[in-house]
Amino acid sequence: MSDYDVVVIGAGCGGLGIGALLSHQGRKVLVVEQSNLIGGCCSTFEQKGYRIDLGASIIEFPQVIDWCFKRMGTSFFDEVDLVPVDPTFSAMLSDGTKVTYPLSLEETRKEIMRVAPEDVKGWDKYSKKFQGFIDTALDGFFVSPMNNFTDMVKLFAKTPALLKYNSLFFSSYEGVIRKYFKNEKIIESFSFHSFYAGQPPALLPGHFAMLPYAEHAGVYYSKGGMIGIPKGFQKCGEKSGMKIRLNTAVKKILVSKKRVRGVVLEDGTEITSDVVVSNINSRKMYLEMIGEEHLPWLAKAGLKSYTYSMATPMLYLCLNYTPPLEHHHTLMTLPMEKVNNYWFNHYLKGSFPKEQFGILSWTTRSDPSLAPKGHHIIAVTLAPGVYKLKGTTWDQEKPRLKEEIINYLDKTYLPGLKEHIVLAELSTPSDFEKRLRSPEGAIYALRQDLPHSMMFRPAAKSKHVKGLYLVGASTHPGGGVPTVIASAMIGADLIEKYEQ
Amino acid sequence: MKALIIIAAVIVFLILIYLIQPRSRKLFIKNLLKQLFYLFPRYFT
Repeated sequence: MSDYDVVVIGAGCGGLGIGALLSHQGRKVLVVEQSNLIGGCCSTFEQKGYRIDLGASIIEFPQVIDWCFKRMGTSFFDEVDLVPVDPTFSAMLSDGTKVTYPLSLEETRKEIMRVAPEDVKGWDKYSKKFQGFIDTALDGFFVSPMNNFTDMVKLFAKTPALLKYNSLFFSSYEGVIRKYFKNEKIIESFSFHSFYAGQPPALLPGHFAMLPYAEHAGVYYSKGGMIGIPKGFQKCGEKSGMKIRLNTAVKKILVSKKRVRGVVLEDGTEITSDVVVSNINSRKMYLEMIGEEHLPWLAKAGLKSYTYSMATPMLYLCLNYTPPLEHHHTLMTLPMEKVNNYWFNHYLKGSFPKEQFGILSWTTRSDPSLAPKGHHIIAVTLAPGVYKLKGTTWDQEKPRLKEEIINYLDKTYLPGLKEHIVLAELSTPSDFEKRLRSPEGAIYALRQDLPHSMMFRPAAKSKHVKGLYLVGASTHPGGGVPTVIASAMIGADLIEKYEQ
Repeated sequence: MKALIIIAAVIVFLILIYLIQPRSRKLFIKNLLKQLFYLFPRYFT
């Protein structure tokens, strides 16, 4: 008799999502989390009276998250107090132009007409293409398992309309955006979105070009901080008996006769279970927690060939003035060409840029209660930072970089910033690694280019260890809040089918 | 011999196609080709 029916390692949105779904199926579920907070990258910590989001600062594709809650007889909008974010974002271009994208497609069309009248037709075609893609792909591609070639064939057989969009998977994000838009300002305004999936515009598969469009289906912020979303799953799961243990790190996954038997915690305690769900980095999980002795050589070679996704340094700013911004999300952009050059000439060579680009997330714009009255919080997502800096380390560079970035923001996007900082904390890739135990501080676990996607990403149902399932950014469909929640639905379906 | 000539012709044709692609498409293709070797073991993960 096992201690639990299912042990979930990691209380990120994927882990809590599947934990809640399996509890709702009537299983006895335990979720163990190494840190003192739930949510993983979608979490909120408190410091000196400010509630600061650790990573994610908005959610897109609310409908996907809603499907997950609906399976438990409730809805995303009932369980989580959501604030609509409108405009979806505004982009401050490198030449000083501001382009704002309201939620309404018609208003967005007007904005494009103002900035680049020649691209209005392109916008219409782009909208039509990606509305079609989202309608076709969302409830098929994103919530179907992609463990092997058969799964892929089944998906295309079930949704033959997807074949119409095949070319998107074999083009780059940049290629698709440039196909529809000719004006460099519009192209620049979409240049940072590719990093929402962890790759530069030249390398990210073209279907991700849906991201700027998808925001028009609704962008939301969770009142009280982004931790509200994992808390929603926690609440649903606990109603059905799900247990969560914080500050509980797993050292090993017990395997015998090619089947999981439970987990061993870092303090040596054994918890037995016939099903283990991993919501942690799959490369690390297989190679360190399962052990190479349980894996065939081809799988070991495959796992070792994976590259971790990019890391994102974040600067958390707590301020005693109202920042000179207008919207929740302001993108600091560079021309697409420069963004690609940054990746190839700096990121891959271990350096960090002086000219910053990224996101200014003014969270107190959507929820003033996150900070003391009259105070504000901006979480700055900086340019992707490679884990191994050339000739130095993040820990060494941190004080200098923090000062440099604050000076840069003060001179550019946030005049007056320096005089109004109450608290400023730079979180580097190495801090992310320590805090989340995510190797190399990778925010999307593994890279998200084509050779790391679908059946070439670790399978949701382990091919080598029975009873082992994967959720989260490490498996299909990849990193991002709605996608890891989609992986929770895929995992729950597989467990329902194979673990009676 | 004939087969070799056909293969060589196909390769030359593909290289020519590659060369006329815009820079960003070349980067995308290069990234795929660089990882082609890993696809087989990755399928088993």
